[in-house]
Amino acid sequence: MAKVVVLGAGISGHTAVSYLRKNLSKEHEVVIVSPNSNYQWVPSNIWIGIGRMKPKQCTFPLAPLYKKKNITYIQAKVTTFHPEGDAKIKKGYVTAEYVVGDRKGETVKIDYDYLINATGPKLNFEATEGLKPGTHNTTSVCTYGHAVHAWSDLKKLIDRMKNGEQVKIVIGTGHAKATCQGAAFEYIMNVEQELHRYNVRDKATITWISNEYEVGDFGMDGLTVKMGSQLMSSKDLIEMVFEDRGIHIIKRAGVYKVEEGKVYYENLDGEHKVEEFDFAMLIPAFSGHGFKAYDKTGNDITDKLFKGFMIVDADYTAKPYEEWTVQDWPETYQNPNYQNIFAPGIAFAPPHTISKPRTSKNGTPIFPAPPRTGMPSGITAKLVADNIVEMIKKENNHLHHLGSMGNMGAACIASTGFGILKGRGVTITTNPIVPDYKKYPETGRINSKTIGDLGLAGHWVKLALHYAFLYKAKMKPFWWLIPE
Amino acid sequence: MAKKITRFQKFVMHNPFIQFFKFIYLNIKILNVVAMGHGGTRNNKK
Repeated sequence: MAKVVVLGAGISGHTAVSYLRKNLSKEHEVVIVSPNSNYQWVPSNIWIGIGRMKPKQCTFPLAPLYKKKNITYIQAKVTTFHPEGDAKIKKGYVTAEYVVGDRKGETVKIDYDYLINATGPKLNFEATEGLKPGTHNTTSVCTYGHAVHAWSDLKKLIDRMKNGEQVKIVIGTGHAKATCQGAAFEYIMNVEQELHRYNVRDKATITWISNEYEVGDFGMDGLTVKMGSQLMSSKDLIEMVFEDRGIHIIKRAGVYKVEEGKVYYENLDGEHKVEEFDFAMLIPAFSGHGFKAYDKTGNDITDKLFKGFMIVDADYTAKPYEEWTVQDWPETYQNPNYQNIFAPGIAFAPPHTISKPRTSKNGTPIFPAPPRTGMPSGITAKLVADNIVEMIKKENNHLHHLGSMGNMGAACIASTGFGILKGRGVTITTNPIVPDYKKYPETGRINSKTIGDLGLAGHWVKLALHYAFLYKAKMKPFWWLIPE
Repeated sequence: MAKKITRFQKFVMHNPFIQFFKFIYLNIKILNVVAMGHGGTRNNKK
């Protein structure tokens, strides 16, 4: 009998636990540890942020589902890792602190035979002075709670605009090394369309602010997509969309401070500038959770497990951008020091960024971190679960399931306006995610599988995925037929 | 200078009839990209 513990119940952790439970017999114990009580389908948060969806349409409670599926659910927050156990516990364990109920505040030791760390990122608002939502009029759409707050502020702004007031809206990245430009892009487009719906578009100046060298970089060093029969850069595509919607662009900007109605940023030319706003949604930097790890004698071994995020089978050798290869990216998400520990999704430490690193004239690094959200999170979680199932069933340590981001496709379905007939979307598929210029010298990617499309159909696809992935997450009949 | 979306392109983008077929095409394309496998890049089986 084996015990598999999964940390985190986001897209990655929930996917892993679903496949583990499906493929392991009842004699094996599957445990999930998460401080959250609800599953949330994060990609739909942008619609909560414009008031077109309610949180209950994007979330569901975890406890009843896990009970029904015979998954042990511990609502607690992980604090430390002990991969070698200690004098009393002979196998690896983690400590966690209960966050609800009678045992709230109590620390528990959770031992394991296999551990999946799917704790995702820490939303590091503290890395940018004054960015924390609700402190200086800025908002976020990173969680459904943040998105509710964003809609509340946006609604008040729309009321002001109805009274004839001219306003400034700033949306984008809130840190020089932030990622998730895709979510910010979706939000700015949806906000713009909503202003038309309320007949106040002429009352707003809308500005995109981003750490990207060119718009459309999306943390993936940009893309060359096939639009119909022509190849087009994602820069040209996104610039065209912004031009069409009258959105101003500030690029190469590292936001470092927010004050009431003011965003302070430094650009690659080393200039310090200020952008005023009445409403802002800025994505924070992502970071590791700052976990500590100890060996069996209590010595600190954090550097064997973590490098910010968790260390996996990537090549972390420091080298210049020109020498980066797809082989640097992990394939199994297994920690090299403890072979029963894995970190799929956003929890693994990337070997480097995908976008070219750049520094300002003052030496400030300003470039996007690599995205690992959505599809890659689900795919890597499934392959980790599949490998663990095989290790348990076959009683060996061979890892047959591989999935490098340099040999994996993904789709970015960006809603650019809500509505069954008035909706719009930008659909971008890419394969691979990390460009491989040796294999595909022209663009780094397979042209026939890296496409772009604009139109209502993209919005329908995003809406269809919303319902399909929530169906899958609820583990309803034949859920596993829906791919990650 | 950014390219502009032409009036014809806008007509295609907003026409529900055309977009219905686009919807089917995009779903097939996405499935083809994300569900048709992934793998390693190092060719050294562990």
